[in-house]
Amino acid sequence: MLSRNYREKTIEWALFLVSALTVVILLLICLFLFRDGLLLFKDTSLMDFLTGKFWYPTSINRQFGLLPLFFGSLIVTAGAILFAVPLGIASAIYISEIADPKVADFLKPFIEILAGVPSVVFGFFGLVVLVPIIQHSFNLPTGQTALTGSIMLGIMALPTIITISEDAISSVPSTLEQGSLALGATKWQTIYRVVVPAALSGISAGVMLGIGRAIGETMTLMMVTGNTAVIPSFPGGFLAPVRTMTATIALEMGEVPQGSTHFHALFAVGSVLFIITLLVNLIADSIKKRYKFKVD
Amino acid sequence: MTEAVQNVSQPQIQVENLNLWYGEKQALKNVSMQIPKNSITALIGPSGCGKSTFIRCLNRMNDLIKDCRIEGRVLTEGKDIYGPNIDVVDLRKKVGMVFQKPNPFPMSIYDNVAYGPRIHGANRKDLDGIVEQALRSAAIWNEISDRLKSPALSLSGGQQQRLCIARTLAVKPKIILFDEPTSALDPISTSRIEDLIINLKKDYTIVIVTHNMQQAARISDYTGFFLMGELIEFGQTRQIFQNPREKSTEDYITGRFG
Repeated sequence: MLSRNYREKTIEWALFLVSALTVVILLLICLFLFRDGLLLFKDTSLMDFLTGKFWYPTSINRQFGLLPLFFGSLIVTAGAILFAVPLGIASAIYISEIADPKVADFLKPFIEILAGVPSVVFGFFGLVVLVPIIQHSFNLPTGQTALTGSIMLGIMALPTIITISEDAISSVPSTLEQGSLALGATKWQTIYRVVVPAALSGISAGVMLGIGRAIGETMTLMMVTGNTAVIPSFPGGFLAPVRTMTATIALEMGEVPQGSTHFHALFAVGSVLFIITLLVNLIADSIKKRYKFKVD
Repeated sequence: MTEAVQNVSQPQIQVENLNLWYGEKQALKNVSMQIPKNSITALIGPSGCGKSTFIRCLNRMNDLIKDCRIEGRVLTEGKDIYGPNIDVVDLRKKVGMVFQKPNPFPMSIYDNVAYGPRIHGANRKDLDGIVEQALRSAAIWNEISDRLKSPALSLSGGQQQRLCIARTLAVKPKIILFDEPTSALDPISTSRIEDLIINLKKDYTIVIVTHNMQQAARISDYTGFFLMGELIEFGQTRQIFQNPREKSTEDYITGRFG
């Protein structure tokens, strides 16, 4: 009896330790990221870093300005949102409201597979297929542009947006739909006047999580955006090469001497990225919590 | 058909040999019924007897259910609502429905009532009047006239149900179907809704499905008793309750089963 109790307790503790490990790992990541990032400010001021317009990490007169990278990430992500949000919501509406259940069951696995494709494969596809198309259709010197990155990123964010929006739309009580139809509304009026507004917070959560994924994406962008660290103009910048924060870290980390100012600068960029994704996820989470349907 | 041709005694709804199947299962068997204008008709019977299925035939809500097959005719104003030239949207404008559980849309009180008129293209400047009129007719105006912009979901259950009735009235139907409208409400809210339904009779033809036999006896002019998909007996409420012709009607009313 005693030994059985003892065994139960041991298992409980073991499981607790395993789950606590995640928290510990996250804290350690934060610790090292911010510690090494903060060391940058021995050599460069915080303002120079946050408002600097030039990222010249290796020239004699070196500068570590975040803005070109920040705006690079911003323009690519914004483009991805413009592309993926309407498409994602439309697909979610189709799957949950319009499609025959058989068609929906057929489509859903493909969306899940899309979510599982490795980003390097997306990058390869973008490089081989999309880059030449963009180059020729806009008559550009190179097809490696912010727009190319936006489209690829949009495709990658689609599964998240579709799955979560679809969930939100399906969880709108069918009594609401019936109420609308019984008033003589058409199916489409019911969808865009009742169902989608009722699911809006869930849909926004999906969009935010999709954005979260987009901001952190690295490999694909490195392969298709050309990686030129200049502040993009708007809207012309969509057709010029850009470099994102993520791509910068991945490209340069392998070549910097450990402990150098450049090394710390990359960590500082990483910290900024971490804070942004954290904020986006927190927002998504709070929206999601708020929307829990309160009909009952 | 124009008003002039209509006979005064012509029933508002005339159901002829209605049969309905969900897949293989027959849920309504040869139901025929004549529902007079400006009356309240109650449909009673044990769970699963087909009364809710029947009422949903009258505004074609069963269209939403897959594998649902319907035979027979349902005429309003002399036209078969299952006929070839019927626009379901038009039909549902004329035949409103109030559901078992209050189902206000997650928007403001005002927008809930304005929803129907808006989708049917009402003039923007008429909306305030339509909304007020509908809320007054549904006997809820005095309680909420000062907070039309607050969310409908902040109302109590009984208020929500009266709001749903107002929402239906705003579309100006001729017939209103009530599918157990008070089964989710407390006795006080129930009695207010019953009073309201009785008041609505002068302007509308009302069909109500109810589990509550006292309710049927209190408010209805005609009663139909359903059992296993068949309309066992239909007649004036007083006759059904005091002097039922069928044994099973009597057994149900006196509480021997159901």
